[in-house]
Amino acid sequence: MAFLLHDARHLERPARSMAGPERERARRRLWRSDLLAAGAVASVAVAVGLFLAEGGANRFGDVGSALTSLGIVAGLVATDLVLVMLLLAARVPLIERAVGHDAAMALHGRLGKPVVYLLVAHGVLLLTGYAVADGVDLVAEAVAIWSLPDLPLALLGFGLFALVVVTSLVAVRRRLRYETWHLVHLLAYAAVLAALPHQFSVGGLFAEGTWQYWYWLAITWGTLAAVVVFRLLVPLVATLRHRLVVEAVEPIGTSGQAVSVTMRGADLERLRATGGQFLVWRFLARGQWWQAHPYSLSAAPRGGRLRITVRALGAGSASLAGIRPGTRVAIEGPYGIFSEAARSRSRIAFVAAGIGITPVRSLLETATFRPGEATVVVRTPEPAAGWLLDELGELCAARGATLITVPGPRGRGWLTDAAEHEGLSLAAFVPRLDDTDLYVCGPRDWAERVIAEARAAGMAPEQVHHERFDW
Amino acid sequence: MRRRAVILASAASATAILGGWQLGLLGTPSAPVAETTTQTVGGSSGIPGGSSESGTSGSSDTGSSGSTDAATSAPSTGSGTDANAGTSTDTNAAASTDGTYSGSSVGTRFGDVQVQVTISGGAITDVTALHLTDHDGRSVSISNRAEPILRDEVLQAQSSSVSLVSGATYTSAAYLQSLQAALDAAGF
Repeated sequence: MAFLLHDARHLERPARSMAGPERERARRRLWRSDLLAAGAVASVAVAVGLFLAEGGANRFGDVGSALTSLGIVAGLVATDLVLVMLLLAARVPLIERAVGHDAAMALHGRLGKPVVYLLVAHGVLLLTGYAVADGVDLVAEAVAIWSLPDLPLALLGFGLFALVVVTSLVAVRRRLRYETWHLVHLLAYAAVLAALPHQFSVGGLFAEGTWQYWYWLAITWGTLAAVVVFRLLVPLVATLRHRLVVEAVEPIGTSGQAVSVTMRGADLERLRATGGQFLVWRFLARGQWWQAHPYSLSAAPRGGRLRITVRALGAGSASLAGIRPGTRVAIEGPYGIFSEAARSRSRIAFVAAGIGITPVRSLLETATFRPGEATVVVRTPEPAAGWLLDELGELCAARGATLITVPGPRGRGWLTDAAEHEGLSLAAFVPRLDDTDLYVCGPRDWAERVIAEARAAGMAPEQVHHERFDW
Repeated sequence: MRRRAVILASAASATAILGGWQLGLLGTPSAPVAETTTQTVGGSSGIPGGSSESGTSGSSDTGSSGSTDAATSAPSTGSGTDANAGTSTDTNAAASTDGTYSGSSVGTRFGDVQVQVTISGGAITDVTALHLTDHDGRSVSISNRAEPILRDEVLQAQSSSVSLVSGATYTSAAYLQSLQAALDAAGF
C-alpha cells in the first residue's frame, strides 16, 4: 500500500525545448572525478618510475638484488598509497566536490588492507634480499638490519599503521566506541611521520640533491599540509567566524526519539552550506565537547540559522536532547554532494526512510525543479507518521512536488511486502526515471536495495545519489 | 572506475613508468671507474683546447668560450690527478719506503671510498679505511661488513689483486682502486 499525500503531477508542463544546465554540470564534475582518479593511479606509477629512473631496471640481475628491488618498489607504492589515503580523508575541496565525501572515504577504507600487505611485502622482500646478498640467514640479517638508521622508527610506524587498519576492520570496529576508533585512527599521522626518516636514510634512492628527493619530500609534506589546512585550520576559522550558538532544542513527533536543534550564527552566507549537505558538529558543553558527529542539515540555511534533526541512535546523539540553548558549537564542513552539486538531470526524486528524511527535507527546499517534476517517496511506520512528515508535506505543496508514503513493516525489498505484492516499484512512483536524479537516504541495506532497483530500471550511475551516514 | 578514468590513468601511468625507465637508461649507474674516466676525458679535452689555441695564436680574449672552458678545466683535473696520485704523509717517497700512504678518494654512487696503507719492512702491515660509502644507511652497513674482509685479504695477498666481496661490489672495487693508488705512491 502507498499513500499519495500530495499530488503535484498535474502541474507538469510540456518538456523544455532546451536541455537544462544539469547535464553540463554533471559532465564537468565527472571529468574532474576521472582526472582525480587517474592522478591517484598515476602517482603510484610515478613512485615506480622514480625507482626506474635511478637505474632500478638494471638491478634485477641476481636473486638478492631482484628481491631487494621488488621490496623497494613495494615500499614506494605503499607509501604513495598511504599519502593517497590521507588526501582522500583530508577534506580537500576539489576532491569533496568532485567525487563526494562518502565515495572518497569508501576508497580510503578500501586501500587500508592492500597497503598493509604491501608494507609486509616490503619488509619481507628486503630482509630476504639483503640476506641473500650478504650470504647470511634471515635471523642474522634481521639482527644486522636492526642497526640501519631509523629502522626501529620505521617499524614503529608500521605497527601504528597496522593498528589503525585492524581497528577499522568491520568486525573489530563494531566493538569499539566511535571516539576510541577515531583516536586510534589519528595514529596514522604518527605512522607516516615515523616511517619518513628511513625512506631517506636507508635507501639510496632519495639521496640529498636528487630530483627524486625533492619530489618525495614535496608529496609527503604537501599531503600533511593539506591535512593540517583542511582538517584543522579551515574548520577552526569557520568555527570562529560563524560563532554558532544553540538557539532551541525541540523534540520531534510524539515518541520523543528525535530532536531538532536550531543554531544561530554570524555571516552564514560565507559558509555556503546548501540543502542536503552535512556538517560535523561539536557541542562545546561538559561531557560533549570531545565528541564530534556528522549530521545533515534538516533545513536549508536561512536567516542566520542552521538546523539539524537527530534521532537517538548512539550514546552521543541520545545526549543531544540535553543540550541547553546558548551552548557554543564548533563545526567542520559543510561536506557532501547529496546536493545540487551532483545533479545530472532536470527532474528529481527522493526516496527516504527513517531519519534519512533530514537531508531530503533540506534539499527539497533548495533543489532546482519545475512544479510537477519532483517526487518524494517516504518509507514510514504508519501512513501519516514519520519524522518531519508535516514539514515535508507543506514543502511539497509549496514547491509542487508529489509526496508518497509507503507505510508498514520492513519487507524483503525496500518497499513493504504488501506494496510489492501490489506491483508497486520505483518506476511506478517516479515518472520518467531516465530523466531523473534519484536521491536515496536511509539505512544502508535498505538504501542498497533502492539503488539496485534504480540501476535495474536503467538509471545511470551519475543519476543515483546516496551518502552513507553510518560509520 | 569509469572507462574514461581507466584510459586516462593507463596513459599517465605508462608515461611515468616508461619515462622513468628511459631516465634510468640514460643515467646508467656510474661504476667505481668513474674517476678514471673523468681523468681521461679531462686529458683528452686538453688536446683540442691546445690545438684551437694554436689557431687563435694565444689571444685569450678572442678565444671561444669552448676553448676557455677546456683550458681552465684541463689544469684543474690535472692538479686533481696529481693530488690523487700521491697524497703521502712521507714527503721523500722513494721506492718501497716504510711509512703511511693515503690512496686516492674513489667516488661511487653510494659515496666516496678512501684507504690508507701502512708499509713497514717492505710489507703491507695495515690498511685503514679513511672513508667508506655513506650515501645511505644500507651502504654503510654493507661497507662495514666488507671492510674487514678486504683488509684481511689484502694483508694476506700483500697486493690489491684480491677478489671482490660479494654483495659489496662497489665498495670492494673502490677500496682496491684506492689501495692501488696508495701502493703506487709508496712505490710498493
